[in-house]
Amino acid sequence: MLRNYFRKMQGTTKSPPRVQWPEVFWSWLGGFVGISVVATLNQAVLEGTGQILFIASFGASAVLLFGALKSPLAQPPNLLGGHLLGAVIGVSAYKLFPAHLWLAAALAVATSIAAMHATKTLHPPAGATALIAVMGGEKIHQLGYLFAVMPVGVGVMILLAVALLFNNIPRNRRYPEFWF
Amino acid sequence: MSKNSDENQTPFGGMDLTDQDVQEAMKAIPGYLDITPGDFKELYRNAYRHAVERISRSIIAKDIMAKDVISVRRDTLLHEVAEIMGRRGISGVPVVDADSRVVGVISETDFLARMGASGPKNFMSVMATCLKAKGCITLPIQAQTAEDIMSSPAITVTEQATYAEIARLFIEKAINRAPVIDQQGHLVGIVSRADILEATQATSCKILHQ
Repeated sequence: MLRNYFRKMQGTTKSPPRVQWPEVFWSWLGGFVGISVVATLNQAVLEGTGQILFIASFGASAVLLFGALKSPLAQPPNLLGGHLLGAVIGVSAYKLFPAHLWLAAALAVATSIAAMHATKTLHPPAGATALIAVMGGEKIHQLGYLFAVMPVGVGVMILLAVALLFNNIPRNRRYPEFWF
Repeated sequence: MSKNSDENQTPFGGMDLTDQDVQEAMKAIPGYLDITPGDFKELYRNAYRHAVERISRSIIAKDIMAKDVISVRRDTLLHEVAEIMGRRGISGVPVVDADSRVVGVISETDFLARMGASGPKNFMSVMATCLKAKGCITLPIQAQTAEDIMSSPAITVTEQATYAEIARLFIEKAINRAPVIDQQGHLVGIVSRADILEATQATSCKILHQ
């Protein structure tokens, strides 16, 4: 019993092969374009307004959208649904337990995972979105549920647009795999 | 699941995928695949099993049976039955009534069983009896007809019986062939173990080349 428990930690298989160099290049370029578009818009449109368009979890989404674009985790329903669920659940968790950040944080992430699974929208970066809603500080807390609209909703729409436009340029790439 | 039992449960025998095969196949697809070789192999095996089951269900008696089936009547004399079987090189033949409904099956075993062989009813037992006897040991059945020695009622299958059902029937009943009948019970063909074997071969080819 115990031996089997530890044996499971050895793993059973090898890592997948490394991608070809062109794939590395296109992933780099995609990540660069995706993030620069969001960051530039953030700077150009919202500077001085106190609003933000940009949160750290977009970096994680960019990894999926441009580095693992065939993954079910990277598909549009996952990107949009995941982040929106994470945002709403994160804000709710903070509103419920503003004095117990650890509890709000744990609830936000755990509930997001469950909600995404239940709706077939699992998107790992959305766990970060939920966490940001709780741990992101005063500026984020003041947004309340607007956090789900801006920066999250608008931000992921821009990311999605870039992914659609960019990922279908290289001959060997296409995006998405599915819409529903 | 331990590695060992995992390997033993594959339906492929020595034909199973290796990690190397999967790695090569993954390399051939451009872009990052979000799956481990281990998960892929498990998926592949399960999908393969589903394909085998689906195709097994889709193959029915009608597809694999011999249609130009030879049959004998109830009242066909045994020497004629033996002659027909000998000439066509078959080891069993359906017996039909005047309306071509299957009423029984005669196989070599049915002959051997009535030729005075002591012990197991096979060719060599009969041969042994024969070598010890003075006259011909077929004497007791010389004047008999198909009806007298056939196995009855016949174990038959319908045209819609699936490949898997027929294979199971052959094993359970320890038979080598089964007449195929239509809804009215008329003889329309016969399936033998060889037909099943051929279908097995065709099935694996079909799966691999789909």
